[in-house]
Amino acid sequence: MIHFKCIMPFNSLKYFLFLPVVYLAFYFVSERARWCVLLTASLLFYASLNLPYLLVVLILVAMTTYGFGIWLYQTTTPKVKLALLWSGIAVNVLILVVMKYLPFLSENLKALFTLFSIDVHVQIINAFAAIGVSFYVFQAISYLLDIYLEKEKPERHFGYFALYLAFFPKLVQGPIERSADLIPQLKTQYKFNYNNMRSGMLLFTWGLFKKVVIADRLGIFTNNVYDNVHSYQGLPLLIATYFYAFQIYMDFSGYTDMAIGSARLFNINLSRNFNSPYLATSVIDFWRRWHITFSRWILDYIFKPLQMQWRNWKHWGTAAALIVTFLISGIWHGASWGFVIWGGLHGLFMACSVIYKPYQQKLHKALGIEKSRLLKVMQIIVTFHLVCFAWIFFRAKGLNDAWYVVTHLLRPVAADARYETSNDYLIQKILMGQPREFFIVLLSLVTTVAVSFVVNRDENNSLSVFWERRSLPVRWGLYVSLVLSIIVFAVYESSTFIYYQF
Amino acid sequence: MELQDTLNQVFREVFDNDDINIAPDMTANDIDGWDSLSHVNLIVAVEAKFNIRFSNKELMTFKNVGDLLGCIRAKTTNSHDSL
Repeated sequence: MIHFKCIMPFNSLKYFLFLPVVYLAFYFVSERARWCVLLTASLLFYASLNLPYLLVVLILVAMTTYGFGIWLYQTTTPKVKLALLWSGIAVNVLILVVMKYLPFLSENLKALFTLFSIDVHVQIINAFAAIGVSFYVFQAISYLLDIYLEKEKPERHFGYFALYLAFFPKLVQGPIERSADLIPQLKTQYKFNYNNMRSGMLLFTWGLFKKVVIADRLGIFTNNVYDNVHSYQGLPLLIATYFYAFQIYMDFSGYTDMAIGSARLFNINLSRNFNSPYLATSVIDFWRRWHITFSRWILDYIFKPLQMQWRNWKHWGTAAALIVTFLISGIWHGASWGFVIWGGLHGLFMACSVIYKPYQQKLHKALGIEKSRLLKVMQIIVTFHLVCFAWIFFRAKGLNDAWYVVTHLLRPVAADARYETSNDYLIQKILMGQPREFFIVLLSLVTTVAVSFVVNRDENNSLSVFWERRSLPVRWGLYVSLVLSIIVFAVYESSTFIYYQF
Repeated sequence: MELQDTLNQVFREVFDNDDINIAPDMTANDIDGWDSLSHVNLIVAVEAKFNIRFSNKELMTFKNVGDLLGCIRAKTTNSHDSL
């Protein structure tokens, strides 16, 4: 895993200044120049990572995809069209592989040669930081496929097309947008909209709260344990695993709220990415609620074609397509075996459910429990634990560590001297040494869970709509307490968002 | 209309529900149990019933029942022509 210093993440003071400045520039220039402001801001935002080659990669992806899109549209011969589609996809995939996977490939190739005692010199390639690349490459591929399938027409204006890929709120971590959803919005004439301004700022602040108050605080515990798992066994591992599940959710959904909030200032509605994922009643349901724009992408462009290709094998074909799709999803998250196993596990869970679902439904019917509330609660608990189990491989520093966690998770806390100090340390830190920390974690978690429950029950299922309908004093009371709790309870160590690395 | 009736029969069998009455503008959202996992069963059943084979491109562009109907119609008339 590569660690790098990000100069302007959403939770930095620089971004808090950048966003209003961009907005003012956007507001005061003429309508025709507004895309220039947003594109320049997006390139500056990307340049702030201090990795100049990333700008080159972005421009390369934008230019080739733009060209292939128009070429694809103008070609009428089916065979040439298909060849163009594959070439366009190949260029994008090649860029992604070079940026993300060469170090992993070279390392494993070397290990393979060593295993068979073949004396070939394999150059180990150092990892690049490829922030954002996998997100805009995915969008570029979906753009080409939609033109090939005649769902969309190519964009002729290179400025708007580049902005579709580079728009700064969603550049480095999504949501992954379709051109048909985003480009028309970018072209719509801007009129100041008070409601958008208010709900955008609210969502941004809410996301910030999730990130700096909850995710970062949970991170203190999970990092402590997961950065040296061999010092722990039993309860601390269990707590850290549960905490990680909430940390990554708060981190990623907090980021997404900030992205959607930022975009809304410019009257741009980005797609919804989360819908209470831990209330899912099956792993399949989880993927309809977690990182929705990504799962829609892999479903449409990888799973469905594979499933149809293998349709004569019936359930087994679907099961195989699920496993392959989610192995690819694992690799997309990063070139390491932990991610591959994480993806493979999700694929396996869903493949099993496809095979045994018909029997399960019969069983539930026979027992007369198919509509019982208890069954639903049980399903939520089981799904949450399956997802948590897979997170272990996602978070652990390597396969050895992950395996250690899995095998030591349910052991009683040992009296063994090797574990004693660190276990005591953790329990002290959580329960006694720093009760304040533990209390804040608990309180803020309960608050967010309660908020999502209330918002979920509401027919609009939207925080900002829910908020708008409160009376003025209630609204302002909530604003003030939200901002105050961020100021008082934030973890002020600099931290990046987990999904930056993908 | 005859084609739509036959297709409706396939829908009722696949989704195990005799109340289904398909219409061209219906999508997966309108029929209980029609999700991306059961969609493949529908396609296999349709192909068997009408003795046709859809291409990958066709399968990726169906948006609603009407698209499916249109594609079946095109394929079955073509095969009659060739007889």
